[in-house]
Amino acid sequence: MVRVKSRYLLCEITVSERSQLLQLDDRAVATAVRAAVARTHGDYGAAQCVIGFSVKYLNAHTGIVFLRFPKRCYRLLWSALPFITCIETRGHKIPCVLNCLHVGGTIRTCQKFLIKYNTQQLRQMLPKCKNDEEKQQVRKAILTCCLPGSNRKETEEDFESEDDEEE
Amino acid sequence: MKKMSAAKVKIKERKMRNQPSSVQYPSRENNPRNGGDTPVTGGSGSNAPSDIQQTTERQTKPQQRGGWVRGHQKDRGSYAKEIPKHISGGGFAMARAAEVRAMLKAVNKTTASCHVFEALPKHMRRRAMSHNIKRLPRRLRDTANRLREKSLQAGSKKKEQTKAKGKSRKARRRHGNLLLEFNRRQRKNVWLETHIWHAKRFHMVKKWGYCLGDRPTCKCYRPCYRAMSTHCLLQDLSYYCCIELQGEEDKLLAALSQLTSKQAGPTFAAALCLSGQRQGSVVVYRAGQYPSQVLGPVTFIWKPCTHGSTHRQLWIWAHPSIKQDLLPELQSVCQCCEAVVPPVVPVVTPAEVTPTKEPELKPEKAPKPAQSHTKRKRSCKDACEPPAKKILGDGTRSPSTPVTWRSSSTGIVINDLTMDIVRYRLIGPQSHTVLAETLEAATDCNALDKSQPSPLWWPGHCKDESKMNLHKQQADIFNILKDIYSTGELPAGTVLGLAVDDPRLTLPSKKVKALPCVKQTEEVDEEKRRELMLRGVPKNCCRSFLWEQSVRDNVTDNKISEQELNRMRSEVLVPGSRLSPTPLQGRVPVLLVHQPGKQVGHEMSSWGAGWDLLLPKGWGMAFWVPLVYRGVRVGGLNMSLKHSQNKGTPHFPHDYPDCPAGVRFQEEQETELLDKFKRRPPAKRTNYVKHGCLAPFCCPWQQLAEEWELITREEREERKSESQTETTTHTDTVMEQEMTSQPNIGETKPQSFFTVLRNRKSLKLLSGWCRPTTSKGQRFCRIGQVPLLDSSAVRLFLTEHRMSVVWVRLSLLSKGKPELHAMVCVPLTEDLKLLSNKSDCSGPQEPLHKNHFKTRAKHKKKGSNKTAAASSLSPEKTEAKGSVEPNLPIVAKDPKSSSESSTDLIFGLWPDPLPSVTSHCSRVTLGWVTQGDFSLSAGCGEALGFVSVAGLLNTILSQPTEYRGMVLLRNPTSLHYRLAKINIEV
Repeated sequence: MVRVKSRYLLCEITVSERSQLLQLDDRAVATAVRAAVARTHGDYGAAQCVIGFSVKYLNAHTGIVFLRFPKRCYRLLWSALPFITCIETRGHKIPCVLNCLHVGGTIRTCQKFLIKYNTQQLRQMLPKCKNDEEKQQVRKAILTCCLPGSNRKETEEDFESEDDEEE
Repeated sequence: MKKMSAAKVKIKERKMRNQPSSVQYPSRENNPRNGGDTPVTGGSGSNAPSDIQQTTERQTKPQQRGGWVRGHQKDRGSYAKEIPKHISGGGFAMARAAEVRAMLKAVNKTTASCHVFEALPKHMRRRAMSHNIKRLPRRLRDTANRLREKSLQAGSKKKEQTKAKGKSRKARRRHGNLLLEFNRRQRKNVWLETHIWHAKRFHMVKKWGYCLGDRPTCKCYRPCYRAMSTHCLLQDLSYYCCIELQGEEDKLLAALSQLTSKQAGPTFAAALCLSGQRQGSVVVYRAGQYPSQVLGPVTFIWKPCTHGSTHRQLWIWAHPSIKQDLLPELQSVCQCCEAVVPPVVPVVTPAEVTPTKEPELKPEKAPKPAQSHTKRKRSCKDACEPPAKKILGDGTRSPSTPVTWRSSSTGIVINDLTMDIVRYRLIGPQSHTVLAETLEAATDCNALDKSQPSPLWWPGHCKDESKMNLHKQQADIFNILKDIYSTGELPAGTVLGLAVDDPRLTLPSKKVKALPCVKQTEEVDEEKRRELMLRGVPKNCCRSFLWEQSVRDNVTDNKISEQELNRMRSEVLVPGSRLSPTPLQGRVPVLLVHQPGKQVGHEMSSWGAGWDLLLPKGWGMAFWVPLVYRGVRVGGLNMSLKHSQNKGTPHFPHDYPDCPAGVRFQEEQETELLDKFKRRPPAKRTNYVKHGCLAPFCCPWQQLAEEWELITREEREERKSESQTETTTHTDTVMEQEMTSQPNIGETKPQSFFTVLRNRKSLKLLSGWCRPTTSKGQRFCRIGQVPLLDSSAVRLFLTEHRMSVVWVRLSLLSKGKPELHAMVCVPLTEDLKLLSNKSDCSGPQEPLHKNHFKTRAKHKKKGSNKTAAASSLSPEKTEAKGSVEPNLPIVAKDPKSSSESSTDLIFGLWPDPLPSVTSHCSRVTLGWVTQGDFSLSAGCGEALGFVSVAGLLNTILSQPTEYRGMVLLRNPTSLHYRLAKINIEV
């Protein structure tokens, strides 16, 4: 197949204080990455970062971010990621570190990895809980880690929505 | 990304429906929201920094149905709190869990398509999987089953909707219903009788209110040409309109003489035509307007006069596109303004569907075993709807439209016989052989039939001795036709009347090519043949009963249907033998009219001669199929164009730029060509501006004539003032022309329209001056005495025809294929020297022109874009753009550009007010080509077109005698000039 190939980096933004994470948005992350690349690799790097680079997904609660890089230069761009020390958003500077968890050829593999990683993390959280209430919540969270409802119901819903669109 | 069409947005939405979107708090400070564990989705990772606002809005829809935020949508509007100051471990866990769910959903659903089969990898796909569910892997069967049920339901729903209008195919194909459908379909464009035959084999076009075959779908351009030049090509010309005039001879002639002029050749009153022996052709003008206001060419036949009667009948055959002009003109000259309403004169109601029994209902008349069946059919038809009748004749006209006009003062009756007479044209030297083999003179009927009174016309005729004598004579002449070697040997326009047997009776079982059998004949026959070839058909043999309305109607009404004929054939004792005796209904009066071939020019004379076969309506297919079974080729409109091109005659309406129909045609052609041109992307178009081609789609004849008129006038004035003799060299003239033609073309005086030169005498003179040669210009043809070409003669000539253009034939001397609207230009002396060198260099080149409009087009484009987005623009920017605009004419450097700023620019075309057409290129333009192609008959490129008379005379006057009549030809798509020789053929 002929297509533009890219690499997707699944990164975790680690901050010292969790509440700061909520202020993040995808634009801020993108600017931070661009700035870091420009700092480390100069104009050449900045230029590589223009086409085919995007922040595909950002979860402000968990700090998960999907970065998309063109395949031919993803190593170069990746090498700039450790130099990100803070992300500036909404007038605040959030000191943070980007921790790359997975490199995938498609978003799908990244998503698959993220599922595995998240469930694993939740399980690790359970023994570290401080009080009962928290424990209950985490337990509940683990239980809900599957697709809501049965498969069948979901697909039916799908079809209905399709019909709506057609009309 | 910025402006996506609605469909694209929809597709994208569908694709992204299951994909998780980013979870973040929107960055707008003025719209703060609460936190906790109620995240809000923003843009789905779009990194377009400028329009995040837009993206969020655009994506509200997918948000609502997708992902894990669904539950929180309701209270979305009431988010008022700030981002939370702290988060709990439990909340974080929930967020993680929610993310996992979103990802799971994204991973489990494919984005591409909801079809089960497409989700399968290729190697697992099986044939007919959608038909047989069991071919699917088991895990997918459930979904596939559901999908299938769904589609079935939808299908049935649709069927219910459409059921109301659609009948079953069987019902639709039933004869009566089919006829109704056919009649409905020809409400707008009339079908010829051979329509269905043609529609199966031809590309059909809707033209002039008819559905006509343009060209065959099979590849047969050359076979058709060969048929024309060696065997026979058949065409259905029934779309030609026939107008019948009846009245006293002198009154008719007096009226018609206003429409023609003797200067343009024989008129309606030509002696041979008037006797009815020959078909004549004239160019008709508006009454008394001779050199200007042409209507178009028509052919006519007079009915042979009966003894002692001055009441005459005349058929004028005209192209349908001039009928609308010709008919009122005829009415005015004949003073026929009283329309006769059809019911008053029931005899003259040809357009009406004949009220008598129909071919398909015929079996009812004869007592047959199948009667009960037909009866039932008919009764049911009568019960539900009006019986379907096959339209014979013109179906677009309402029956109450008058087709007859009578004059009380002159007694002339005009009758519109459009679609009343079928006309087939056979072109080619063997067309008489085909006719002789297809047709057979009507056989006499036996004594028993003669004695009984009969509603049919033939038995009545058999009783009359004189009529039978005439028939015998005609049959004799028809038999002599077989012995003639080529159709072209006959005198042009010969008319032969005949009554023939139904040709379906002698239909061969297999298609056979009709071949001539020229046998040694006896002295008497030989003499008769010579007589026929020299004198044509004797006077009394031109009479045919086709002229009589009653006979025509009788024949049309009493045609045996195909079905009946087949039934009779099946009852014959020896299968395949001829029906005997011939059924009484099977005699048809026909009229054979000889069509002259190439009459002008010095070579290939009588090429493309042929016969026209005129039949009463309703008999079209009965004659068509037998003709086709004699191995003729069938041609369409395209072939008739090629026919006239090879003959060197102007084709109507393509080559009549001065008559209204021709003007209409040119306009249509221009829009058609322009549309075709515009369909290409600008980068792939021919840039006509750069080629220096001003008018690639429509020739501005009027402007050409005006400019040449101006050039000659100024030249004359100059000469007079200098009292110079006419020894100016060629270059001088051209220089002069170029200088004079440049300024102020606009201020020509009184509007006089250009005319096409049709004066015989002038044409002959001009032809002689052009030094006629054979097609490739190798040999000179001898011509009679021609007055010397000098400036005084030219001046005299031009006083008469200063605004004329003349029809010329141009044959290329070497390579090249001229195309439509190629330019005819005046060669310089250097160009003529090339010719004498005999080198292979075939012609000069035109230097590439500059496209002044390129920059303007660009600016325009930018400007329009800007205005479209003007709402978002700052006022300064628009102002800046406005300041660019006034500079444009300076950039363009074109004298006319200021006026055309409003017209839209089409890239590659010169915008509307054209500059001087004559002096635009390095060679002065004389005229344009209207038909150009590689001529298969001459073996070189040949073009037909018009050139300005003034320009032509100017050119040949300045050329040395041995190169007289040499011009240059350049295609609109090329820069290469080719040398060509002008011939004017009279």
